[in-house]
Amino acid sequence: MATGTERRIEITAVGRMPLVVAFVVGQALAFAAAYSVGRPTWYAYFVVGSTAVTAYVLDGSSFTVATATAGSLLAVALGLPLFMFVARQTPSLVVEKALDPSVHRVLYLGVYGPLLAALLSLSFGVPLAHLLASGFPGQPLVESLVDLPLVVPHSVAGIIILFGFGKGGAFPQLSVLGTMGGMVLAMAFVSAPYAVNASREAFEAIDNRLEYASRIHGANEWETFRRVTGPLAVRGMITGGVLAWARAVSEFGAVAVVAYSVEFFYPVAGETVTAQHAPVFVYNTYLQGGLEESGAVAFLLLAVSAVIFLIVRYLTDDDTRGGTP
Amino acid sequence: MTRLTADIRSTFTADGAEPFTVDAAVEVEANETCVVLGPSGSGKTLLLETIAGFHEHTGEVTANGTGITERPPEERGFGFVFQDYALFPHMTVRENVRYGNRYRDSPRDPDELLSELGVADLAARNPPTLSGGEKQRVALARALAVRPSVMLLDEPLAALDVPTRQSLRDDLVDVLADVTAVYVTHNRTTARAIADRILVMQDGQIVQRGTPEDVFERPESPMVARFTGSNVIDLSAAPSLRRTLDDEIEPRARSDGSGRNPVDHDSDTDTAPHVAIRPEAITLGDPDGDLSATVERVVREDATNRVTLTFDDVTVEAFAASPPAVDTEVTLSFPRGRLHVC
Repeated sequence: MATGTERRIEITAVGRMPLVVAFVVGQALAFAAAYSVGRPTWYAYFVVGSTAVTAYVLDGSSFTVATATAGSLLAVALGLPLFMFVARQTPSLVVEKALDPSVHRVLYLGVYGPLLAALLSLSFGVPLAHLLASGFPGQPLVESLVDLPLVVPHSVAGIIILFGFGKGGAFPQLSVLGTMGGMVLAMAFVSAPYAVNASREAFEAIDNRLEYASRIHGANEWETFRRVTGPLAVRGMITGGVLAWARAVSEFGAVAVVAYSVEFFYPVAGETVTAQHAPVFVYNTYLQGGLEESGAVAFLLLAVSAVIFLIVRYLTDDDTRGGTP
Repeated sequence: MTRLTADIRSTFTADGAEPFTVDAAVEVEANETCVVLGPSGSGKTLLLETIAGFHEHTGEVTANGTGITERPPEERGFGFVFQDYALFPHMTVRENVRYGNRYRDSPRDPDELLSELGVADLAARNPPTLSGGEKQRVALARALAVRPSVMLLDEPLAALDVPTRQSLRDDLVDVLADVTAVYVTHNRTTARAIADRILVMQDGQIVQRGTPEDVFERPESPMVARFTGSNVIDLSAAPSLRRTLDDEIEPRARSDGSGRNPVDHDSDTDTAPHVAIRPEAITLGDPDGDLSATVERVVREDATNRVTLTFDDVTVEAFAASPPAVDTEVTLSFPRGRLHVC
């Protein structure tokens, strides 16, 4: 006799992947049906109901059913607009934008600029993360400073950057307003906390006796980092870099203030061109061309970002090996 | 052939922990195995890590008379075996063993070492796939590979099951025979098996030092006696034993040569007199025994039985090949030469 906590279907016996595929296909068909009859609201109800039923069938406990049902409400809030966004695109307009050289430049800048910001964040963030993981006097102050960009409104972050590094700032020779350097700086400002914190967590997860073992058997601090600590933390660094890159891709406020439009070398054309960061470009397109036209560009940006994100996740999703002995 | 001395006097503060003071002097002759024996939290691992150079400290560490206090760990020439192995998980066993070889002039061949320790077939494996005993043999090989002038071992057997522990302990006795070693443990059996000299540590201080015979047979305090497995008898709670001692061992009671009678031990202090005696020294069932005791419990242990007995207000343990029945009366004999005032 089944009890309240007994699993109704043994997942390992059935196989996890077929269940996932069946669930996803079911959701896709349900959404397609609801959308085709002009009733997307029905799909929202279907998500909640089907999740509750699936949780009951698979687990059977009232707690799991309740948490799955509550979670499905958030999934509806996050997923339904995305599905609607994708479904409502006009293919011809998406293709037209996909063939537009000015959109190419925007997409290139939208990937390339954040990449530079992520590399900048990692270059200086990883040493800081190592220091934070080791601990030092006054550490809470530095931690607060690192996390500050997470709570500062991003337009304010842009203003702060201009005060710090713009005209009359700390480095007068540094040109940030409307430049590629300024854009990367603005992106790094808001994305560095992700690079630092993910790297720090990776360093903190390493048993300090591994560093002791390295040191006592002859390796100095540099060698220990190169051969032990670095390789063991590299996945955390990559995760931090990906998060920083993703955060920079989505940055609007600080970039709009610091570098609304920038000049950069565009290798496809082999010359210097001018373009806006993708979110700024999407916003401008929305103001000038309306929802449909901005949606097509946004769709392309979303697709490029998702593909790059998935590729990086796939490449880093292996075991902990990979260090240099 | 390295003689090691360490005189550590430092207060250490870890995150979220109370400051802990270590005030301990360690002297290890060349090729000697010095065991630091103490309960958990006594500071023995901290002492060992400080000798290794992992923590800044005041005091002095010397190797063959040369001060090495300011040297970083990589310049001390030591080897270290950790309780939880600390093998590099992203390297193979062979890569682990030869890790330090590039930093030393004449390192040992990793495969040869693995073979000597009986784990040659593991060379291409990764540490996470090994058993505890295998990991510790690899860790031992890694430390030996750099031809350390001093081996530091931090409870290397503590995480192992009993058969593995016994097997590796036997190997350690051989391995440590011709190297200067400091070995930290809370296990008195291990300490007695491998030590040339034992330092007993409590609350950051060395409370007794000497040969295993000294420490186990002649503990200087009730704490050391209990920790090394002796019965500690408070004579004020054991009048029947006290009367026997009054009658028979008065002139030579104190085995440290002071000639003082143990029953008078408290005549110049306010503390109660205690005598220590090892369980294996107490004889059961001798008709001419010192006193009669009640058998409270008998526990089978390998080839013998551990018997718990009470007399007066005292509980003692003894060993007996043929144990008496529980709740019966049995005579106990306390060989005078094995009684030690502490």
